[in-house]
Amino acid sequence: MKIVVIGGSGLIGTKVVAQLREKGHQVIAGSPSTGINTITGEGLAAAMKDTDIVIDLANSPSFEDNAVMEFFQTAGRNLLGAEISAGVKHHVALSIVGVDIMQNIGYMRAKMAQEDLIRQSGIPYTIIRSTQFFEFIGGIANQATQGNEVHLSDVKFQPIASDDVAAFVVKYALGAPLNNKIEIAGPDRFDMYQVADRYLQYMKDPRKVIANGKPEYFGGAVTHAALVPAGLADLGAVSFENWLTTQLQNA
Amino acid sequence: MKENSRDSKSGKKAAAPSDNVLLQTVEQYKREREILLALSSDLTKVRDKNDLILLFKKRIKGLFYISHTIVTLIDYKDATYTPFLLDNDGSPIRSHQRYQEMVHSRFPLNEPFIQSVLHAAAPISFLLEDIMNEPQSPPFLRVNYEKGVKEILMATLMKEEKAMGFLHVYTDKPGGFSTEFRSIINGIIPQISSAVSNIIKNEELLKEEEEKSFLLDFSSEIATVRTKEGLARAVQGALHKLNPSGGFVIRRINEDKKALSPYVHDLSKTHDKKILTALENSVFPINDGIQNRILNSAIPMLFNTEREIQRSPDSAYLQYWKQMGMENFAGIRLRNGETNLGILLLDLDDINVKLLKGICAQVSIAMANIMANEQITKTQEEQSFLLDFSKDITRVRTRLDLQKAIFTVLDKTMHTQLAMIRVIDDDGIHLSSFMYDRSLFPNTKGTFDDMVAIRITVEETYTAQVLASEEGLMFNVEEELKNGNAYATLWKTTGLKNMYALPLRVGDKNIGTIWMLANRLSPLLVKGICAQISIAIANIQANEQLDGYKKKLEVENDYLKEQIKTIYNFSEIIGSGEAMQKVYRLISLVADSNTSVLVTGETGTGKELIARAIHNASPRKEKLMVKVNCAALPASLIESELFGHERGAFTGAVDRRIGKFELANNSTLFLDEIGELPLDAQAKLLRVIQERELERIGGKQTIKLDVRLIAATNRNLEEEIKAGRFRADLYFRLNVFPIHLPPLRQRLEDIEPLTNFFIQKYARSTGRKIRSISPRVMHKLRSYTWPGNVRELEHLVERSILLSEDGKIEDIYIPENAAEDQQNPALLLNRSLDEVERSYIIETLKRCAGKISGAGSAAEVLKIPGNTLHSKMKKLGIYKSDYFS
Ligand SMILES: NC(=O)c1ccc[n+]([C@@H]2O[C@H](COP(=O)([O-])OP(=O)(O)OC[C@H]3O[C@@H](n4cnc5c(N)ncnc54)[C@H](OP(=O)(O)O)[C@@H]3O)[C@@H](O)[C@H]2O)c1
Repeated sequence: MKIVVIGGSGLIGTKVVAQLREKGHQVIAGSPSTGINTITGEGLAAAMKDTDIVIDLANSPSFEDNAVMEFFQTAGRNLLGAEISAGVKHHVALSIVGVDIMQNIGYMRAKMAQEDLIRQSGIPYTIIRSTQFFEFIGGIANQATQGNEVHLSDVKFQPIASDDVAAFVVKYALGAPLNNKIEIAGPDRFDMYQVADRYLQYMKDPRKVIANGKPEYFGGAVTHAALVPAGLADLGAVSFENWLTTQLQNA
Repeated sequence: MKENSRDSKSGKKAAAPSDNVLLQTVEQYKREREILLALSSDLTKVRDKNDLILLFKKRIKGLFYISHTIVTLIDYKDATYTPFLLDNDGSPIRSHQRYQEMVHSRFPLNEPFIQSVLHAAAPISFLLEDIMNEPQSPPFLRVNYEKGVKEILMATLMKEEKAMGFLHVYTDKPGGFSTEFRSIINGIIPQISSAVSNIIKNEELLKEEEEKSFLLDFSSEIATVRTKEGLARAVQGALHKLNPSGGFVIRRINEDKKALSPYVHDLSKTHDKKILTALENSVFPINDGIQNRILNSAIPMLFNTEREIQRSPDSAYLQYWKQMGMENFAGIRLRNGETNLGILLLDLDDINVKLLKGICAQVSIAMANIMANEQITKTQEEQSFLLDFSKDITRVRTRLDLQKAIFTVLDKTMHTQLAMIRVIDDDGIHLSSFMYDRSLFPNTKGTFDDMVAIRITVEETYTAQVLASEEGLMFNVEEELKNGNAYATLWKTTGLKNMYALPLRVGDKNIGTIWMLANRLSPLLVKGICAQISIAIANIQANEQLDGYKKKLEVENDYLKEQIKTIYNFSEIIGSGEAMQKVYRLISLVADSNTSVLVTGETGTGKELIARAIHNASPRKEKLMVKVNCAALPASLIESELFGHERGAFTGAVDRRIGKFELANNSTLFLDEIGELPLDAQAKLLRVIQERELERIGGKQTIKLDVRLIAATNRNLEEEIKAGRFRADLYFRLNVFPIHLPPLRQRLEDIEPLTNFFIQKYARSTGRKIRSISPRVMHKLRSYTWPGNVRELEHLVERSILLSEDGKIEDIYIPENAAEDQQNPALLLNRSLDEVERSYIIETLKRCAGKISGAGSAAEVLKIPGNTLHSKMKKLGIYKSDYFS
């Protein structure tokens, strides 16, 4: 099968491309660096030729509210338009658990816009809503750092390994389109600050994590359970502890 | 897998070194260094593929024996590598039937052969027969082997520490790669790598340059474009460079924003007339599943014709394109700022986004310019057209002229139909139709005429909207139909799409509305024309009003003359007897009011004088009383005399005529001889009296009236009613205040003053001086029955004056045995012979001052002997009291 992975050079994209190639599929890793750009449209039409499945794992280069909205809307329209013309049979996208209830946050509004475009496109689709990647925890700590302290919320948090995410993406991409969303998450549930605390300790980072008790995420107020799946979700195999171990080995 | 690495080979060679060998080795290294240096410096000069190929062919092949060299490049997008550069001049595989296939193949990276190359630290060689049969090995190995190649040397080209491709060196001699060669290749691999990336970079730059100069050429070409045809030429020229055999079409969004029409195109791909006309003349709905997608896409789109046909099988142009052999096509929107102008459709299989966007930006600008130019030309044309129209219209004086001017302009030049012009009436409330095109709705005459006839007001929903609007309104016929607008059914019959309704204004004043049907109208033109029409209508109205005044003046003039003629008649009513005193009292009672008065009395009793007396004593006296003699006109004309008519209301009505009723507005209308009015006219008269307004015959406009009515008759109207000649209801309306004038024979006391009055009057006009009238004559006058009443007396006096001599009236010629006497209604009543005889004798005695016999006696008048009269009086019981009262 011919599969195009948009954002194929990204964290999840690389792994998805590798896993799909492993399974013998003809995979095109689409990203500006490979000459496929969903914003300018460069290389898009050619990449879509005879493509069966498109997996959108791209991310906006800027997370500023307007920029990220512009990115997901433009990219979404261009990509879906090209897919319709090429007769693509399955569109898979990676979204975020709780995206619909965190609409006070700019990034979430943009991801929601992306989802809406997909639902309206008429292309058979599967939307995979994931919790945060383990790889993302360092970033969360950084944005919450004040001097030597990391002020973080105690909202519920159930991060997942990018390998698991990639495996789920591959599984759902190769399956029949659900024309619906499904949720994936890590195997364990924590309070957000605990995870960051453990991560920094493990990395021998001198910063101190302080639970601020505020239910918030990236500066926006959220409910305590906003970031974790509400109902049934596919759970990843790699635990946070296991992942930490491999991180040190890689370092 | 077996591999022959450099180490294993060199190991063999360096097994037993001797001095000689050592020397040889030193020599060899020296040579190697020299070759390396020379090649390195050559490699730095490589700019394009050709340089590198030459280097392989001339330099390396000159030093070592090899059969050919190939460079492949890795594409990480799909994890493959593919030929980039081929030094295959002498290559034995060029004749292989799979050669072309190999040149264009993409070989996967994830198979053992190429992976071992990627993982090797240095160039690595393979014997083809060892590896080519491995299941995942790339087919080019076998292809080479089949053409006699024995061995391959592979080296990985690196860029920024990442593999970017491979150098393949082939030889048909077994063991053909010497240690020296391997060492040299290993030494120059970094330079070859950078030479290749330089070539790539250069090629990219070159391509960019080409695109830039292409766009630059195109843009300078486009800059000179002024017309559609010019645009077509420029686009055709440019696209021809991209795809020499391909056609294109630019479609423009129509003004209704619902469809696109071909703007410019190159359809040279087909010669089929049917296809050509279909494609050129069609209008394509915007939401056809392709055009809307293109218009909504910020980037160029590539379509597969077959797939789109499956998606929208009804789209005719796709079928034609398929017939024209277009497998794929590209579509890009043309946009000026944020406004979509149209789309460009191209016969292309690949999309170069940058180039297409560049082309479209230029085309869009040109298109916007051409459209702006077209608009300017159109505006100029419209302006000069308006100027002509305004010249035409300044000459217009009548409705007919105006109608002609308007119809010509609207129909011929603007493809517009005038439906209706309505003009606001003087009351400021009603609107009457001023001009309309009846032929516009030929099949619906009834409805249209009904609508025309209805006198709407400024409050009417649609009219109110139009009058309130700044520059008029456009009603879409279909939409109005949906909204239940009753007029729209009529509009629809014309097949035109829109009704344009504009207020007609002179200055700030609304004077009416104009309704025009058209598919589309230029706002500028409509506004200009409406301004002109408004002024023309105002002029015509002023003209018509002036005409009206003139007519009225003429008529009033006639009446003035008539009044002067009869002035002496009514300056005074002569008579002071009891009967007349009663009449005077009644006149003064009724004069002040607006009450209708019915004056009855025998002919010649002076009914008109009474009417004038009432008028002159009323608050309306400043205006002329208008008189109509109902007996004087043929029945066919009486109605138009009374109520007026519009031009063309009936045959012979060549002009508009103001009726007596209208003329008498705010004054008194005297209807003489009302008893002679035909029944039809009676009915109409009744309606006018009841409604206090009238319509001219043939007119649609009703006129409010304030008219005081005085009617007069010598007939017994109650008898007329019985006989069915007079309407009872009209009688009751008229007989509100009856005044009966006594016959002259009942006012004998007034005969002398009347006679004197008439003598004075006629003496003055004839110039004769009458000094006396003999007592005998006076006696004779008194004893006459006067069937013609005062008028008869007047005529008699006039005649006598003419016959008088010496200023003395000696005799008077009373008609003997006047036939009318028998006709006198007083004598024709239903009475017995005795009664008739009795009253007649009393009458006669009265007239003869009670003298029964002798000269001037009753007996003499009755022509019977005095005795006979005496006995008759006794028999019938006639006493002195009966004739002395
Ligand atoms: N982070 C989380 O916790 C989390 C949770 C749930 C869902 N997600 C979603 O998961 C997705 C993937 O995240 P990620 O962390 O793997 O992203 P990432 O590592 O930041 O990679 C982004 C990818 O997008 C590509 N890209 C950027 N602009 C592009 C363009 N104009 N056209 C085509 N490709 C473009 C990048 O290509 P280049 O390398 O060439 O720039 C790169 O391959 C995102 O949509 C994100 O919203 C993230």
